[in-house]
Amino acid sequence: MSIESAARAAVARPEPRAGLSLRRLLDRSLGLISFVLLVAALEAGLWLFGVPDYVLPRPSQIFLALVRGFAPPILSPSQYYVNIGTTLIEAVASFVLGSAFGTLAGALIVEFRSVRRLALPYIVGLQSVPKVALAPLFVVWFGFGIESKILLGVLLTFFPLLINTAAGFSAVERDRLELMTSLKAKAWTTFWMVKFPSALPFIFAGLEMAAVYSILGAVVGEFVGGNSGLGVLILNRNAAMDIAGSLAALVILAVMGIALQRAVAFARQRVLFWAPSNDALDTRDPE
Amino acid sequence: MIAAPKPTRVDAQPPGAPAIQVQGLVKTYRSQREGTVRALEEIDFTVADGEFICIVGPSGCGKSTLLKILAGIVPHSVGTVLVRGKAPRDADNRLGLVFQAPVLLPWRTVLQNTLLPAQVLGLDRAASQARAHELLRMVGLEQFAASYPSELSGGMQQRCSITRALLHDPSILLMDEPFGALDAMTRDTMNLELQRIWRESGKTIFLITHSIPEAVFLADRVLVMSPRPGRIIEEIRIDLPRPRDLDTMSEPVFAEAVRHIRRLFGIGAQDRPHVD
Repeated sequence: MSIESAARAAVARPEPRAGLSLRRLLDRSLGLISFVLLVAALEAGLWLFGVPDYVLPRPSQIFLALVRGFAPPILSPSQYYVNIGTTLIEAVASFVLGSAFGTLAGALIVEFRSVRRLALPYIVGLQSVPKVALAPLFVVWFGFGIESKILLGVLLTFFPLLINTAAGFSAVERDRLELMTSLKAKAWTTFWMVKFPSALPFIFAGLEMAAVYSILGAVVGEFVGGNSGLGVLILNRNAAMDIAGSLAALVILAVMGIALQRAVAFARQRVLFWAPSNDALDTRDPE
Repeated sequence: MIAAPKPTRVDAQPPGAPAIQVQGLVKTYRSQREGTVRALEEIDFTVADGEFICIVGPSGCGKSTLLKILAGIVPHSVGTVLVRGKAPRDADNRLGLVFQAPVLLPWRTVLQNTLLPAQVLGLDRAASQARAHELLRMVGLEQFAASYPSELSGGMQQRCSITRALLHDPSILLMDEPFGALDAMTRDTMNLELQRIWRESGKTIFLITHSIPEAVFLADRVLVMSPRPGRIIEEIRIDLPRPRDLDTMSEPVFAEAVRHIRRLFGIGAQDRPHVD
């Protein structure tokens, strides 16, 4: 921060007043309050109207299922720990691999005309296939283990990265490239010093999508055929008519999704400190 | 400027040779709507080493294209273009280039932006660092060396883009309406500063502007271009003593040169009622 902007920030900060801070506190806790109210209303409503547990369990029952799932024995396959571990490994592996391949492919397609000519028809063709429809085949080809889930996740995360990276590399400001040309910079130098950093905001937009898709790939893969993971857990709970258990697993998946997405957003903030944020899910007060 | 520690000069040239030679330059390009378009038509001029040349012309006359040809960014169609005796695209021709927009890289600090040419050209690190600090001090940005471009005003950003263009000590500086986006007062200051840099460094400067007073104020010679297809319709030598200051603008020679160029564009002659 420059001296100027630091001074501006200091001047702009208003004196804290009692009434104002109470209002701010209310404003900030709005989310929490409404959540508590919603849960309470659900709890009361479901109890009042006598909705059976095997249709829609009360929030308290989902909470109890969560507590039970996290209780020892830790290593039991019916408990959460092992299943969370499996799904998390699948999701993270497919996120990392799919994003890496997608970014690389996106950059190559923009940078090399021959690669574009050669690969683009296949990519367009593959992209129009609903990737989850390949899940049963992947189980046949790669087995019931985590490999088939990771590959499905890779396929799902690959495309958002490819498309965003390609868009990013195509959108580099012409003046920046002309500057490098005037210095007679080598193609590789221009790539690393100008094109790649310029494309990063697009790449991060792709990464945020990939974070969600990686969990989708893991769960769909587990649904189709697997022996561990939260998807398997949901199937088992459903088969036992333990809807509260199913929903508890869903809660964990939601938390996992938010965590991955926030991790990407955090990395974005660190790497792209220079780019204006377009994070619509960021609920913090703007500075 | 001259006292600034210099990395090895990347583009030394034989003394006395013209900095830029353009002969019979024609630039055509294909456009989907209009077919073959002639952007530049039979351009001839020579720029001596150390000369300050300004180009004025109406918008769309191809003056930016001319500058891009000299910078080796755009190829020309017909004719001879020699920059320091070589083709503009020659790897030895690492000119300084300043655009209308600062074109700073937002992820680099002011110092890192200034050092960009050193990294691209693989110049000595320590010497470049020292020179970058010296240049930033010269344009009054030294306490902003660690700031990012977004924290600077437009004028400060443009000054940083000038330090970047000067870092590798190019013998030729190409500037495409460098002060066009600045307010009038900042612009005057920048003009004075640019004149000082030019006088102290002995560089050849080729500057495009659409401000006629700016061209007359800065240039040894003003080249006036016609609307598209761009041709050079007149060369005007400005015989005003150096260093010029803001008082220069009220001298009769200055006013006469400005009026003469305005007439070439038909301003004040027939389009508008005569004011003076």
